[in-house]
Amino acid sequence: MSKSLKIASTLQCDLLIIGAGGAGLRCAAEVLEKRPETSVIAITKGSHPQKSHTSTAQGGLAAVDPKDPADKTIYHMFDTWKGSDCTADQGVVRKITEAAWEQILWLETRGMHFSRDHNGKLSKRTFGGHTLNFGESSAYRAVFEADRTGKGIMDTCWGESLKRNISFINQSIATELLFKDNQCIGCLVFKQKTGELVRVLSRATVLATGGSGQVFKVTTNCRQNTGDGLTLILQAGLPIMDPEAVQFHPTGIVGPGILASETLRSVGGILRNKELEPFMERYAPKMKELAPRDLVARAIVSEIREGRGVLNPDHRLEHVWIDLRHLPDVVHEKQIPEVTGFFKKYLNIDPKHELCPVHPSNHYHMGGIPTNASGEILDRSQKVIAGLFAVGECAAASFHGFNRLGTNSILELITMGKFAADRVLDYFNSVSDNLPEAKGHLTLSRFSQYLEAGGDDNIGKIRDALRTLMTDKVSIFRTEAGLLQTMETLKELKDRADKTALSSKSLRMNQELFQHWELDNLLSVSMIIARAALDRRESRGAHYREDFPARKDEFNYHTLVSMTQFGEVEMAKREVDMSIFNEKGEYYEKFGMIERKY
Amino acid sequence: MSQKTGQQVYNLTLKIHRYDPDTHRSWIQEYRLEAGRILRFVDLFRKINEEQDATLAWNSSCEHGQCGTCSVKVNGKSLLACELLVENAVQYFNTTTFNIEPLNIAPVVRDLLVDLEKAYERLDKVRPYIIRPAPALSPGEEYPISPHELEGYVNATRCINCFCCASACISSHRTFLGPHAMLAAIIRVMDPREQEKQERLKILYSDQGVYRCHSSRACSFVCPKQIDVAHFIALAKEGGITRKR
Repeated sequence: MSKSLKIASTLQCDLLIIGAGGAGLRCAAEVLEKRPETSVIAITKGSHPQKSHTSTAQGGLAAVDPKDPADKTIYHMFDTWKGSDCTADQGVVRKITEAAWEQILWLETRGMHFSRDHNGKLSKRTFGGHTLNFGESSAYRAVFEADRTGKGIMDTCWGESLKRNISFINQSIATELLFKDNQCIGCLVFKQKTGELVRVLSRATVLATGGSGQVFKVTTNCRQNTGDGLTLILQAGLPIMDPEAVQFHPTGIVGPGILASETLRSVGGILRNKELEPFMERYAPKMKELAPRDLVARAIVSEIREGRGVLNPDHRLEHVWIDLRHLPDVVHEKQIPEVTGFFKKYLNIDPKHELCPVHPSNHYHMGGIPTNASGEILDRSQKVIAGLFAVGECAAASFHGFNRLGTNSILELITMGKFAADRVLDYFNSVSDNLPEAKGHLTLSRFSQYLEAGGDDNIGKIRDALRTLMTDKVSIFRTEAGLLQTMETLKELKDRADKTALSSKSLRMNQELFQHWELDNLLSVSMIIARAALDRRESRGAHYREDFPARKDEFNYHTLVSMTQFGEVEMAKREVDMSIFNEKGEYYEKFGMIERKY
Repeated sequence: MSQKTGQQVYNLTLKIHRYDPDTHRSWIQEYRLEAGRILRFVDLFRKINEEQDATLAWNSSCEHGQCGTCSVKVNGKSLLACELLVENAVQYFNTTTFNIEPLNIAPVVRDLLVDLEKAYERLDKVRPYIIRPAPALSPGEEYPISPHELEGYVNATRCINCFCCASACISSHRTFLGPHAMLAAIIRVMDPREQEKQERLKILYSDQGVYRCHSSRACSFVCPKQIDVAHFIALAKEGGITRKR
């Protein structure tokens, strides 16, 4: 049936959004608000925009309220810079933190249901790493919608886009970007429901495809976060920045992988190994369970590596325990009811009486498609690619550097979405209304190869092997030997994937065909993560090399990785923007190469 | 027992309703599989894909009850497959055989996957956003909403549009926009930031609105977020949503 795969039709629009999550739709809503006549098409891989990963964010949105007498934007900048392990770009940090409150108000006035204080104003809570006066005390800086802040953002951005007549193409994937004379002019889209390939020509294209958490076996990420946007960019011969910067949370719940939040440890939860020993005493005698995230994650994995983990037979995963049995009932009921509920729901465990299994969980990809502070995508020589933008988790501006602070990710979605929209509106004034034509040449051959392969293997099993490999060798602990071995094994897995025959050759809603495409993306992203981690012979933020445990000044740069053919990687560098430090203004000394110690 | 490490395996039979859009053929396919006690039904579908049949199509996204993508009917009950553990299912339905169907809320695309885009069209009709926002009381500041006022409708805002309520609802699906769509409309009637109340009430009290509801409370019974959907609909019926709280 592969002969029936052809480009069925061509659609035209002013703005094409690839990925209809929080960042993509914030951008769309802004463009439609300012320029209502714009025709906008948004493609989403999920069955509906509301099903995007943005909807799962719980905690909050960091933003300094100008009415707050204690908090200042410069503190938020400092916290973000320090948290990034001195690898965020300071111009972007300044731009986002300064615009933050205005964007909160945008969401509020468009109907987001923020939690309120007794005066009816937006409630605020503290969050790890967010401080007053350069680390002196905790800042009440995060506004939130109960434990579903991301859902509030998603519903609002989707609602606003819907109100202003956006066109959605759901359950569809962008398979190839189209270029003419170094300008992006749209993409090819495979519509899963009908099995059709459609060409979408656009004046501006925004990638907002989200993260790549499915690279790892245990992740908080949605099933569709397979690094698709990163692969589109690699395929176009453009670089990815800092792919090795991947954040892990120390305590994911075995099974769904979702977070058993820090709160469990802050209210007195104790981590125990197979022998029930409270092992944190050995790793952090003073701080114990309250040591920083990365240290706790490494302690847990060390216990497991040294044979003191416990195997969960159902999920085939080794874990440690978090013990909450000794906590008073009032703590269980008042302070940690949500997380207690998760253990009950997904493991049938009552944390009042039973030990709860936890394992570090992949959480966030700081690395991504390199952009400037307006979301314009840059090539290896830092030149802007005309008509092509990236925002959200798939992009790296870089606001988070090598480690992201909690509540900064959804702030980035809405601010960068807005900034990209501003730039898109300017760009419309400079680009012609006539849409040039381009054919695209990769998709048909790639899909034909999937449909024609004849080998006996299983896409799901290869994906499982990939995720186990990446979790074992490229997550919390990385070593030269492990990374080299990973790159070799990835090539073998790629060979296996290439040969795997599909059980059905149908094009309509053929989940396996689609998963083969996703697997190729996962393989590509895994390869560049491993290779970038290999070259960064130091530890920085979330990137921890067991053989090089300290940060080194010689690595004060962003990694750029290109890979047009699988396994053929080219490396380059981008300077870290230290403009706040270099301008020598007030407090500039706080923005030098400081230590990330709390 | 203070720690659960022992392995218990269930021998399950899943009778899954299948549909092939290429041939328009429907059939029920039986899969037998062994599964541990805390695997979820989404894990079972994945296991079938990996070990028995890669062609079985099903839907999911977040897989922890926040997005409402994996809704299916298991032995007649609409629920989220990501929240149903094997041992709970065995206990609740008192069987190891499960009949699994797609939700009857929109055309089936393939197997367990329904066309959510079509299902959402009914929700879009209630205009799930603020139509005409109230101006800020003080420029540059948020619109104040007291916690008491918010309390009146905040539970309705937790709806994730999983369509379990729409599928369980005994009212005619063609003439009723659905319990979840009513929630979306009710929220904005109760939200002080929405100025366009007339159009909202017109939709709510139209022939596709709340009076289609037969008060069976099936929506509240199946809601995976434990929202008392029927309470809000009843409130709308008796005019309680426009009363000042």
